[in-house]
Amino acid sequence: MMAISGMHLTRIGKGNFLLEPLRSMNIADQGRLMQEVVAQVRQGQGVRLYYDLNGLPVIDPVYYDWLNNLARICRIANIEMICINMEPTAAFTLSSFLSGKPEFATALAVPD
Amino acid sequence: MVQKKETSEKLATLFSLKIGNISGQLEETGRVFFCADTMLMDEDEVADLSSEFVNLITGLLSAKEPAKRTIPQFHALEIFFSELAHRMLMRGGNVEDVVRYAQQLQYSLIAALERDSGVDFTQSRSVLLYFAQLFDELIMAIFRTYLGEREKTLKAQEMELRETSTPITEIWDGVLTLPIIGTLDSSRTMLVMEALLNRIAKDHARAVVMDLTGVRNIDSQVSHHLIQMVRAVQLMGADAIITGIHPEIARALVSLNIDLSGVTTRASLSDGLKEAFSRMGIQVSQKAG
Repeated sequence: MMAISGMHLTRIGKGNFLLEPLRSMNIADQGRLMQEVVAQVRQGQGVRLYYDLNGLPVIDPVYYDWLNNLARICRIANIEMICINMEPTAAFTLSSFLSGKPEFATALAVPD
Repeated sequence: MVQKKETSEKLATLFSLKIGNISGQLEETGRVFFCADTMLMDEDEVADLSSEFVNLITGLLSAKEPAKRTIPQFHALEIFFSELAHRMLMRGGNVEDVVRYAQQLQYSLIAALERDSGVDFTQSRSVLLYFAQLFDELIMAIFRTYLGEREKTLKAQEMELRETSTPITEIWDGVLTLPIIGTLDSSRTMLVMEALLNRIAKDHARAVVMDLTGVRNIDSQVSHHLIQMVRAVQLMGADAIITGIHPEIARALVSLNIDLSGVTTRASLSDGLKEAFSRMGIQVSQKAG
């Protein structure tokens, strides 16, 4: 597990990384967070970043921007970002204001 | 004011008489309405009902201000009729019987009082008026209960219909089907979406086939909700496939300029299932031989 304030970033094999955000994560400081995440994943030769949304009941436009920005920077670094475990309520709220396709992919969970 | 005072005094005089003995006459009224053909009550229940009514009406008429509608004695009588209406409706009776019973109670009560007091009520307009107003209010309570029950039944039926008209079935491991039948309105679409998203999370479904064969009409708001539903399904990480879009609906979607680029559509439910299976790497083949 790698230490980045406000999140757990774990290498889960086959070039996959799992990012679990904590309650203390401050997305106002997203520039630094994005930089650190990409640096750690590249250092571990990762190609895929699974972002765990479990337990997040609502995704508002601010949080959506953070996810999109992180997905964009990951793509530049040749890392695919996939959001997993999205709660039904979060999917519902996000779909209500979504105008285009999100920058990240989605999956139910990390594939076996 | 003068009339009120007069009524109150007359009533007080009348109800200083023993009216406990009218319970038997009221029982007869109850038997006619609830025991004879309808069999909604047994005789003991009618006897209890009549005696309770006598107690309540005695309480009201011996109150300081029996014409006031805010006193607890009146409220108790209102509850009595309201509960009676509720009970009868639950047992399959109709509101008309309860209303006619209330009216008959009024007539029996007046007749009994007239007989016991020896006063000719046709000479006493104020007493008759008092009873007419009192029973009008009580009949209103019966109607309020009836309408409330009816509304509750309608809502329950509507809910049941909605649930049964949108059955979400796991047709294969990880494949959900959702045949939508009837008219899609906004509230129904929201309900379907909520049920579907929760089901995806619960069953870890990887594909959802939404069949619109049974949907004939769709408006602009609902089209947007439908697309929102597809997006929400995709956001949860499942594939959404829409099947059976009627030409009218396709035309509506096109005229509304709705972006369907991210939406997979197939002509029929069977094609939709084939698509879902193929995406999941499932092959269904006929048994050899």
